[in-house]
Amino acid sequence: MRRLLRFGLMLLALSAGWALAGAPKPFAADTPAELAKRFAGKPYLLAFWSVDCPHCQGELELFARLLREQPDLPVLLVSVDAPELAPQVTARLAELGLGNADNWQFADARAARLRFAIDRQWRGELPRSYWFDAAHRVQGVSGAVSEMALRHWLKSGSD
Amino acid sequence: MVRRLLLVAALAVGWAQAAPPKHDMAAMWSAQQAVARPLAVAVAFDDAGRLWLARVESGRLKVAQSEDNGRHFTWPVTVNALPETIAAEGESRPQIAVAADGTVHVLWNIALAKPYTGHVRYSRSTDGGRSFSAPVTVNDDRAEISHRFPALLVAGKRVLIAWLDARERQAALAAGEKFAGASLYVTESTDGGASFGANRRFAAHSCECCRLAVAWRGNEAMAFWRQVFDGNVRDFALADLSEPGQLMRASDDDWRIDGCPHHGGALAADGQGGLHLVWFTQGQARQGLFYRRYDGQKFSAPYKFGNDAAQAGHPAVVATGRTITVAWLEYDGQANRVWTMQSRDGGRHWVQARSMASSEGTVDYPILLNRQGKPWLVWHSEREGLRAMAVAK
Repeated sequence: MRRLLRFGLMLLALSAGWALAGAPKPFAADTPAELAKRFAGKPYLLAFWSVDCPHCQGELELFARLLREQPDLPVLLVSVDAPELAPQVTARLAELGLGNADNWQFADARAARLRFAIDRQWRGELPRSYWFDAAHRVQGVSGAVSEMALRHWLKSGSD
Repeated sequence: MVRRLLLVAALAVGWAQAAPPKHDMAAMWSAQQAVARPLAVAVAFDDAGRLWLARVESGRLKVAQSEDNGRHFTWPVTVNALPETIAAEGESRPQIAVAADGTVHVLWNIALAKPYTGHVRYSRSTDGGRSFSAPVTVNDDRAEISHRFPALLVAGKRVLIAWLDARERQAALAAGEKFAGASLYVTESTDGGASFGANRRFAAHSCECCRLAVAWRGNEAMAFWRQVFDGNVRDFALADLSEPGQLMRASDDDWRIDGCPHHGGALAADGQGGLHLVWFTQGQARQGLFYRRYDGQKFSAPYKFGNDAAQAGHPAVVATGRTITVAWLEYDGQANRVWTMQSRDGGRHWVQARSMASSEGTVDYPILLNRQGKPWLVWHSEREGLRAMAVAK
């Protein structure tokens, strides 16, 4: 009986965790500036993806693995899907075990407007990642990032 | 015991409710296709200067025509009586062409339940757009895989359809092999679209999500598309699709990207054997928008245009005699803007670019057309609707 109770408590805790892991936060035109403030003097990685981007799925699986190893990695996942696709975005993140990651989603269907706030040169190709070092010098990469490159980035940031 | 069972049952219910929703890629894909704002339109001028428009409304492709360059349109005629999940956004676009005999050809893409899958659909009107034939599926492979991004070329009774097809990729993956990109497939009708020949594979390893650009050079059905070259280099290729043959490498930008740019190029033929190409790249060799000419023997040096700091992209090109007109899209932080630039000597020199139209809402790509020998710009945007305007020489 005690074992069962413990099992029950564990389930309750888990379900509470899931309930908290809600929809991604809205990524607006002023979000990049807010993030720069939040990570003042610290490195972080912005990774953009969408539910209809085949090449993004493998990269998300890689992030899921890395975040399981080190849950406090400064990795922010941003879906560029239109706001009405929030349920699909949330479902995909949950399936990958990324429900508790630092998740964001474009808050405006005018994606060009939000891309402009991030990088005026980014035409929307996916996946797209931006690595900000501690001094917030930024490096942008189009296409899936290799595990080696990601580990190198994350390691150089923590030194 | 009963209490214990009840507890287990309660926990089981709790578990079922708390479990994360199973990720249903099929449902997700369908939802995405259904909510996608169908901004992408197909337009064409016929020989009499009438503007034809095909657009998607509630799962139906609708065709209308305008006698006054798009200010007023006829009541639209429905092509597909049964609603379909029609892809009409960005690179995935319906197509329309009007033959010299007045036959109206339309082509579109339906999204299937599985992600990244689709069929190519075709219909025609032989009564001046009053009614359309029952739609047919063009791809003879009916597997639930990608047959998408169709392009249409019409000249007299010849109707050539090209698209990106995943059947080779699928076969390779099933055999445990790797396969880069998709394949370029073609089918042709010689009876004005009444019947089509067998599907023919033209080239393997096309980039899988970039639109095809096509144009007639005499009897040659020329295509310009993003190809996956060795080393995952996604540069452009050029080929005559009407005969089995080799493709030519049309850009050497060296864009190695493990992803799809969703950014096809555009192609125009000038009627004197010259081809005019515009494209986007972020390669090692060059970045941004570029124009180059192909005279049948050699390519001119890539000519850069557009403002990289304003997301310059999605170029279009039209040739009207020796005048070459290029259009593209920019976003300046406030509004989307269509820019044009022109050359009066077949693409050798260019006159300064100018802004043609703007919109602060969501927008389609700019489209350039030849209206009785004059270049016209057509642009569809959410707030302003369809705008058509002559590009002055």
